[in-house]
Amino acid sequence: MAKEKTRLTKYDPGTFRRRFDVIVWAVFIAFFFLAGKLWFFQIIRGAELKQRSESNRIRFQEIKALRGLILDREGNILVDNTPSFDVSMIPEMAKDTDDVIERLAFEEDERGSRWKRQMRKNGGRKPFVPVRLERDVPWKDLALIEMNAFQLPGVVVDVVPVRDYRFGETAAHILGYVGEVGGDDLEEKAVVRYRPGDLVGKTGIERMMDRELRGESGGEQIEVNVSGRKIRALGIKPPWPGNTVMLTLSARLQEISWRAFEEKAGSVVVMDPRDGSILAMVSKPSFDPNLFNRGISGDEWQTLLDDELCPLQNRTIHGLYPPGSLFKLVVAAAGLEEKIFSPEKKVFCSGSHTVGDRAFRCWSRYGHGSVDLHRAVVESCDSYFYELGTQLGVDTIARYASLFGLGRKSGSGLPGEQEGLVPSREWKLRKMGEPWQTGETVSLAIGQGFILATPLQLLRAYCAIANGGILFRPRLVDRIQSSDGETIRKIPPEIECFLPVDPANLKRLKEALHGAVHEERGTGRLLKELEKTGVQVCGKTGTAQVVKLSRDEKREAEEIPYKHRDHALFACFAPYRDPEIAVVVVVEHGGGGGSVAAPIARRILLEYFLGREKVKPPAGGKVLPSAAIGGSG
Amino acid sequence: MKIDRRLLIHFDWVLLFLVLLIALGGILNLYSTSQSLTSVGGKPLFMKQLYWLGVGLLVMGVTVAVDYRFMVRHAYWIYGGIIVLLILVLFFGTIANGSQRWLSLGGLSLQPSEFVKIGLILVLTRYITENQIGEAYEIRNLIIPLGLVSVPVLLITRQPDLGTALFLVILSFSIIFFIGVKRKALYIFAATGMTLLPLFWLALKEYQRDRILTFFNPERDPLGTGYHIIQSIIAIGSGGGLGKGFLKGTQSQLKFLPEQQTDFVFSVFAEEWGFAGVVVLLALFLFLVLWGVRIARNSRDLSGTLIAFGATALIFWGVFINICMVIGVLPVVGIPLPFFSYGGSSLVAMMAGVGLLINVSMRRFILQP
Repeated sequence: MAKEKTRLTKYDPGTFRRRFDVIVWAVFIAFFFLAGKLWFFQIIRGAELKQRSESNRIRFQEIKALRGLILDREGNILVDNTPSFDVSMIPEMAKDTDDVIERLAFEEDERGSRWKRQMRKNGGRKPFVPVRLERDVPWKDLALIEMNAFQLPGVVVDVVPVRDYRFGETAAHILGYVGEVGGDDLEEKAVVRYRPGDLVGKTGIERMMDRELRGESGGEQIEVNVSGRKIRALGIKPPWPGNTVMLTLSARLQEISWRAFEEKAGSVVVMDPRDGSILAMVSKPSFDPNLFNRGISGDEWQTLLDDELCPLQNRTIHGLYPPGSLFKLVVAAAGLEEKIFSPEKKVFCSGSHTVGDRAFRCWSRYGHGSVDLHRAVVESCDSYFYELGTQLGVDTIARYASLFGLGRKSGSGLPGEQEGLVPSREWKLRKMGEPWQTGETVSLAIGQGFILATPLQLLRAYCAIANGGILFRPRLVDRIQSSDGETIRKIPPEIECFLPVDPANLKRLKEALHGAVHEERGTGRLLKELEKTGVQVCGKTGTAQVVKLSRDEKREAEEIPYKHRDHALFACFAPYRDPEIAVVVVVEHGGGGGSVAAPIARRILLEYFLGREKVKPPAGGKVLPSAAIGGSG
Repeated sequence: MKIDRRLLIHFDWVLLFLVLLIALGGILNLYSTSQSLTSVGGKPLFMKQLYWLGVGLLVMGVTVAVDYRFMVRHAYWIYGGIIVLLILVLFFGTIANGSQRWLSLGGLSLQPSEFVKIGLILVLTRYITENQIGEAYEIRNLIIPLGLVSVPVLLITRQPDLGTALFLVILSFSIIFFIGVKRKALYIFAATGMTLLPLFWLALKEYQRDRILTFFNPERDPLGTGYHIIQSIIAIGSGGGLGKGFLKGTQSQLKFLPEQQTDFVFSVFAEEWGFAGVVVLLALFLFLVLWGVRIARNSRDLSGTLIAFGATALIFWGVFINICMVIGVLPVVGIPLPFFSYGGSSLVAMMAGVGLLINVSMRRFILQP
């Protein structure tokens, strides 16, 4: 105690008075400094920082609209949406993304390195926004991911709707497929605002009707926590689903045509001549449009591109073929209209025909004898048309070809349609710098040489003969419906023009086509079989040479290299009196039209009429009148 | 020593009330953070903190009851005991977040580095009161106190807990400068400080350098270290004038704010209570500090003055450094906000400091000069 007292006596509290004053001031200054700083952050920058805290927690999440359905004419679903599972990764949650990816790849190194590239590509995204690694992951892999979820931090599985092409390759070309919007799409469709990553129709109906099908995406304002997890929704704008597109296509006929065509390369297209509706459109070989759901892999895509038979090509509108004898009807129409030949005028066919100083062979080396127009069409006599063609001249033939819709787009609206080619003097001089040769007119008269047409163009021309001269624009879409099935608008048939051809002449042509099926020595006699269903058919065969072979050289089909074989064509419509269905078949390098293409058409018509009888009650037997005139040829 | 009735009469109720007010505010704030986070044991942190407050009050009772002069007399023992604990930490400590700071005693985790603060205040008081020279210290007078300081500082740097080590230096120097040092000594301190700085930088661990670099440029690593500071400033600023309301801070409730129960606890408060709440809290702390200064000033002996001054400095520097940290004025060095940040040891040490203040405050009347 004493020790403490001595220490206390030494202490003068006044010693520190000034020092304490300084300390008090310093403390005040320190606290005012803090208060000032906080004033700056909370009051002056308050609004701005509040904004930042909002943008921290509020995200806008797009809700993609469900793409519209595509139906056939009877309302059968052709294209639907189906759930698929995407695997994505949130790098911030994965921490070591490469490590997680290696585990996720389940020892498939190729996939692993592809995903790593994917991750690196996505450098500039917002934090906690997932990067998609793989689309449409199969169930087997999903199960593995679920089982190992603990070792896969940051890996998320999303359910997304993808297109379900129910008819697969059967209707691949006409329906098309969708893909992620690419650079050219963004540019081309500047009117519609596409965001990168949006799905857009790439070909076929999907592309043609994209604006109806795509709908309008909605959005959701959500509050997220630091992991980007949704806490609650703050506001929602529902998406507007895409409209349903009802096609004129008949799923049944499409399948019939597909099956009838078997494993050949070429095209079948079926139209209703009464209004231009496309009932079926088959192109072979085909591809599975469902492949594109997964974001087709480079290899798969390359295989499709490298295939010599070009399975991606829709031959109905992209395929260009010499029409061969199918073209004779156009030449015949020109001859009648221009009154070059009267219907009764006869030309003698000896098996070949001399024009100028050159002899041109008819397909029948024994000749057809003396033939008038009717017989010339029935037997497809080349000599008759050599003579008629030379007398008409190339430019008149070209004019009539154009009248029948050749040489220009049919106006179906399908993307990438080809125009074909109708040669003329002027064209040849312009393109080749050479004058037109008479020999070329001879070739043109039987649909050979420079002339090229798509199957759809030929079908349109034949429909005009069938319906008495109306050239319809091919009609693919019947109506647009809202997503709940109400009709928004109907697409009426569109007449492009009426052929300026005397109906009597058209009737003659039609009768000649009838004769080709029902008369002796008719080239399309195979179709006579349809009589058993009470239907009479009009049809024309065509065999288009790919390489000029002299007729003497004619060999067995098997001996000729595939690429040099003839294209087999067949055009027909039925019933004779009141045509309601028209078919064009083109078999690439198939051989003779009558032996290869006609059986396909026969099978389609048979199944069509047999099936129709089953479906339709006997009372609605509109077919009967045409059956009644059977044998009139 | 019998309990003097005057001790009860002169008990510093104002100080106790003030401290309890702040501590309960802190627990309320922790309650808000517990809405989104739960501790590992399942018990919400604010409940744990409430228990620790109870422990703190008991410890405070002890530091109030025992005459501070008795404590000063045994300061070397107390100091030595805490140093032993620090050494034990280096060998048996629990590792968390990359450093070894905790001693597990049964179910309790102690952080001896927090108690060093009290120990240093006492031991420096002891040394200074015994070695008064009647004028400012020269450098040779300071060798022993600096040695006393550097032992725990080095031990804590080893953990590593750089923030606390620096805090101890600041606290000790506050006391030493308060007593007064010769200008020459000041220059020497400054010069050694400058020469040691590069060495210090080399001795730093990678993450520590990272933090300091990020402090100078938070956008340098907006998703890593800088993220903390940016999110903290967003939280504070977005509170605006009146705050987002209790439990309604989006930055904290949605966990954008890291370390929100320890280092960045003030940001939670600022976000939910706004500038208004911040001013009230700062006023309470200011009042507490000034009250402490007053106690130091009114003490009747040098040891009382030094103890009260040390305890006040402890609180002041805690508040000042922590808030500077969360508003980006200082690097994030892990100094808790007194009475607010979660942490039992820190709270108990602070309550012990408050006990010392009350101790000095109520004994000024029974000590006759």
